[in-house]
Amino acid sequence: MQPIKMLVDFVDTRLGVRDLYNKELHGYLLPRKVNAWYTLGAVLLVLFKIQIITGILLLMFYVPDSEKAFASVQAIMNDVPYGWLFRMLHAVGANVIMIALLLHMLSVLFMSSYKGRREFTWLTGFTILNLTMGLCLTGYLLPWSQLSFWATTVATDAAGAIPVIGDYLVEFLRGGATVGNQTLGRFFALHVVGMPLILLGLIGVHLFCVKRRGISAPPFGEDYKASEPLPFFEHEKHKDGIPFFPNYFVKDAAVICFFIAFMLAIIFYAPGLFFPESAFQPADPFLTPPHIKPEWYFLWAYQTLKIFPSEIIGLGVQGAFMTFLALLPFIDRSPERRPGKRPLFITCYVLTILVFVAISVWGHYS
Amino acid sequence: MIRTSISLFVLMLFTLLAAPALVLAADTVCIECHGGQPGPLGEPVGQWRTSVHAENGISCHECHGGDPTDYAMAMSPDKGFIGAPEYADVPDFCGRCHVGVADAYKGGAHGQALEAGAAQCVVCHGNHAIQRANLDLINEEACSQCHSYERAALIRLSLVETDTMINTTEADLERLYRLGFAVDEMEDGLFNQRNSFHRIFHGVDVERVRAETADVQAEVGKISNQVAEIDTTIQERKLWGSAVLGLFILAGVIFLLVRKAYEEEERG
Repeated sequence: MQPIKMLVDFVDTRLGVRDLYNKELHGYLLPRKVNAWYTLGAVLLVLFKIQIITGILLLMFYVPDSEKAFASVQAIMNDVPYGWLFRMLHAVGANVIMIALLLHMLSVLFMSSYKGRREFTWLTGFTILNLTMGLCLTGYLLPWSQLSFWATTVATDAAGAIPVIGDYLVEFLRGGATVGNQTLGRFFALHVVGMPLILLGLIGVHLFCVKRRGISAPPFGEDYKASEPLPFFEHEKHKDGIPFFPNYFVKDAAVICFFIAFMLAIIFYAPGLFFPESAFQPADPFLTPPHIKPEWYFLWAYQTLKIFPSEIIGLGVQGAFMTFLALLPFIDRSPERRPGKRPLFITCYVLTILVFVAISVWGHYS
Repeated sequence: MIRTSISLFVLMLFTLLAAPALVLAADTVCIECHGGQPGPLGEPVGQWRTSVHAENGISCHECHGGDPTDYAMAMSPDKGFIGAPEYADVPDFCGRCHVGVADAYKGGAHGQALEAGAAQCVVCHGNHAIQRANLDLINEEACSQCHSYERAALIRLSLVETDTMINTTEADLERLYRLGFAVDEMEDGLFNQRNSFHRIFHGVDVERVRAETADVQAEVGKISNQVAEIDTTIQERKLWGSAVLGLFILAGVIFLLVRKAYEEEERG
């Protein structure tokens, strides 16, 4: 133990790590009734790290050229040592991140954790969700498969429904009249540099907001009281709380392990779950495959556009819903957070989830 | 207002995948005209849509010639329009693409007796509703229309094992393909062996079928061995993957138990 103590002493005298530990880890107190849903933030941090690491490894072998992209992905899957594992972790990981993000958002909504002057936390989180969907969309094109090509063609085509700027927007997104090498180039740049940089910045701001304002206590139990936030800044402290490290950290670690196990289970036991047949065919601009469907998390939007008589109405409805969701903390000003005391909100919450699931299933089978 | 606009723009970007799928490329003028006609002039279109040719993008003009993009010239002999061939011309008609099979057929009993009205391609395979060839095409009901079934039954018996082997390997390759394995070379090899196999029995010579299917089986066997090697790799990966997966579950359970200990400490 002596060498370890010497090493810690060496670092501590220079960086004050013991003080940092006492204040930010062991001294960082969480609400006593904090539950498992609060682990999803840590889960997402780990999943994003896995995406970055596997993304860098894929980047070493991927060629962003429409003539070579498909072959390079084939080579990653078949020739590069453990390339199949990195690619599967990256592709399956993207889907698992979407699951975790949605669960995180739904738990925040259920417990109304966006209340109490936490608008910035909510807005940065909501933007992270949308940016992650953007990363999924741009990453979808990179393998240059039939699925990639036609999903992107259909996706960029939808922007043409927007009045006045529609055609310009389509050309801007594609970098030309049709999806081609220039589209691959800009999606690649956005996927590997542009969006991750913004995402990292947003995650930093999100964590800052969480830390600065303080963790919101779960709105459960007899001792919970709804209270109006003060008119000035206040850090929500939990004096009788539990230390983040090691007390709550072990719960974070447990849920992280279960999420990684879930991801591995898909990779080894259901590897084709997120890969339709067209994902294995090289892109052919002259052959439209039948039944091109977006990923499961875009199915609701896909089907919504089909329900309405014109795409612009569908886009408008989606825009209105997403704007409402983004601005929810500004609209819902009641200090009450207990789900049992908010029957209207919880009814809308459950109905919205059911409608989304139903529309997505409809979209899948339509 | 600005925030709303940004939200809308971001939304637009992220809901782009939501548009309905594009329809398939426009049909040829042959299909546009004949598809709407009643009776014998329109029926072939519906039959063709169910065929293996349609499945592989082989359209009317590829057999019948003509210009599929121009209504006026669609059926012009100047554009190579052939129309429906005479009975005895069908083997050459189909043989423009199915070269090896056509040669084998011509050298066999059916081909030699073609002028006398022996069976040709469409008698067994049909014409516009043509399906992927399989051994069920050799059956007593069909063969007995012209001759006794004994010889055909012997040929069918000799083919079953090889046919099953080819079909099984094809299914295996499809399965590996859906897992992301590069199977192009193996698929090409199997395609060649299937063609060789089809060539063999179109000569309707029992002894030749027996002798040459052994060569096909040997080649298909090599592909099956490659499939088996990949399957072994998949099993090894699954084994290691299961071990790592188990470790993560175990670690998760241990962390939860530690948390339980902390909870007791926090209560007490």
